[in-house]
Amino acid sequence: MANKPQPMATDISRPFWEALKQHRVSIQHCTDCGSWAFFPRSHCPSCLSDKLQWRDVSGAGTLLTYTVARIPTLPDFADEAPQKLAVVELAEGVHINTTLVGLGEDEIHIGMALKPVFDESGETTLLRFTGQDKALSVIQAGAQAEAPVTQVVSKRQIHFKDFASLKALVSDSYSDWSNRYTVSQDIIDQFAALSGDDYWIHTDPERAKKQSPFGSTIAHGMLIQVLLSRLTMPLDWELAGFGNMVNYGSDKLRFPSPVLSGSQIHGRSRVKAVDEVKAGTQLTLEMCIHVVGQERPALINELIVLYMP
Amino acid sequence: MGLQGQAAIVGVAQYQPEKYSTAPRMFHLEQVADLARQALVDAGLQASDIDGLCVNGPHFHEASSFVPAMVGEYLGVALNFGEVVDLGGASAVAMAWRAAAAIELGLCKAVLCVIPQRMAPMGPEEDPMAMARAMRYGGHSTAFGAPEAEFDLPYGHMAQNTGYAMIAQRYKARYGYDQAAMAKIVVDQRTNACANPGAMFYGKPLSIEEVLASKMVADPLHVLEIVMPVAGGAAFIVSSASLAKQCRHRPAWIKGFGEHIISKSPSYAPDMLETPIGPASRRAFAMAGITPQDVDVAQIYDCYTITVLLTLEDAGFAKKGEGMAFVREHDLTYKGDFPMNTHGGQLGFGQAGSAGGMSQLIEAVEQIRGSCAERQLAHCDIAYVSGTGGVMSEQTALILKGE
Repeated sequence: MANKPQPMATDISRPFWEALKQHRVSIQHCTDCGSWAFFPRSHCPSCLSDKLQWRDVSGAGTLLTYTVARIPTLPDFADEAPQKLAVVELAEGVHINTTLVGLGEDEIHIGMALKPVFDESGETTLLRFTGQDKALSVIQAGAQAEAPVTQVVSKRQIHFKDFASLKALVSDSYSDWSNRYTVSQDIIDQFAALSGDDYWIHTDPERAKKQSPFGSTIAHGMLIQVLLSRLTMPLDWELAGFGNMVNYGSDKLRFPSPVLSGSQIHGRSRVKAVDEVKAGTQLTLEMCIHVVGQERPALINELIVLYMP
Repeated sequence: MGLQGQAAIVGVAQYQPEKYSTAPRMFHLEQVADLARQALVDAGLQASDIDGLCVNGPHFHEASSFVPAMVGEYLGVALNFGEVVDLGGASAVAMAWRAAAAIELGLCKAVLCVIPQRMAPMGPEEDPMAMARAMRYGGHSTAFGAPEAEFDLPYGHMAQNTGYAMIAQRYKARYGYDQAAMAKIVVDQRTNACANPGAMFYGKPLSIEEVLASKMVADPLHVLEIVMPVAGGAAFIVSSASLAKQCRHRPAWIKGFGEHIISKSPSYAPDMLETPIGPASRRAFAMAGITPQDVDVAQIYDCYTITVLLTLEDAGFAKKGEGMAFVREHDLTYKGDFPMNTHGGQLGFGQAGSAGGMSQLIEAVEQIRGSCAERQLAHCDIAYVSGTGGVMSEQTALILKGE
């Protein structure tokens, strides 16, 4: 995602980042006492000598410890949720803070052998780790883990006047998740132009980085509401037999949490109520949109759809 | 080597913990003056008796440097010793021994130690979002050239939860882990909080099942194993022996202390399961000439349950790797055989920033005085108090004694 904190290389650390760009792991070695050092620094942490030399190492190591963060450590990391934060001990003995990639939670064990993965998906190549036996070694730019959308092949048809079957749809539990959609700055800008709401918190990434409490631009709440049309909920039923359907409005519309520019969103829904009205059949659907990995919804819309003969 | 036990804590003051949203907003100078006045009244001393000061430097609202001079000026007292302490949750204990040292060196006769933690009123030019931005990284520096800004933040390593979780995971891999025992720490302390009308969770008992059913934040830590941040603030006064004898309450003599700092991030510690509280506590016990078995009340810094577990082991109350069995086998409440965090701990009392650790110290003083009402121990002469800053970055230990 666009707004994750990025490493700012210094004159001292630059060789480390340059090496990663070339798919090498390079760390400092003290020519006076023979110790290895990580993170990069000006003086050896074992003897305080300033004679540190960059040396390429294999990057092979073992998992010292890890945790699975169930709540993103920063909203910007929601796309990695749940984050597999780890400390790796390289063969040279130094410890590195990183994340584990390409490993299921049940495949992770403290002490397991790890190898480096060069992650080129952001502005700077980052050093992540995976299991020694995994094929993964590079995460390409633009790569994004897309969750497969549950495809429902044949949907159950329910006649719009079959109230017994319709009432049975009313439930407290939600459908599975929809497809995902990336809320880009471009789509936010387009919505700002369309709606006339071009407030800086939506449209000025530089100012938002400095002044917004979110550290980034955020999507308009109304944009997220509109994007419901981009999300297909994997429902195993559909209404049939009606002549016309209209969006009758909403009983409730809330934006409980922000959607940062660049976030992936997905949705789910449930049938809240089914009512027989003069014009036909009225379905109240609770539609929720979440940033992927976030428990708190970004949008709750109690949408009323009217089905007429 | 060390202190001779000739300085004592004679006055205390503490704001009742409150939610930040409803707590009164006061300038930090105003809070310092208010807490100082309350602590002086508690001790039976005058403002003119104060001639030393320990105050927090970071997060002091009205100044980022020259804080002791500004505070001394505001209080109208001249200082022979002006100290800023920057050790997070380890600060309260760190202040206590610095104050005692200044007194035993003959520099001071009464030292005010104070940490204001209510929010200050918002100025017309102040950016209301500045605080929200500052809190995004929770104690991690974002400064150019800060190793953690460059090598932690880009990977999502930040704030405290995941650091403590990774320590707990490593413990689990080396020694095994009993979630119910960890939950019992929270539950026993909640029992104590329910006997403390000043605690945030007073009147809200809790079961082990409820702790285990609470949301997993970062494996293996549940949300109820993590302190709740509250607004507050606290102060205490350390005085010389001659002054202590004129004070209103039984003095809590500072008999031993230790302080140890290993690394900012536990990732870079040689062994993250050998915590700094080990060396700090060994020094404190040796200085006081006692052993862990002599302690009547253990006031153990408890930002997370894992902090308590590792302190029980590394301070010598339990053997290494046997902390969970110790928790299972002992009743940690004020009614029990190993009274610990009798005010509820910060898990039950609330954590007012770096003043949170002062709640542990103040409870130890009050247990020694015998002023704890329902939760008062029948016999309490010796208290152990610990402090922890950062992610086990810096830890402090203190031995207090009533004579």
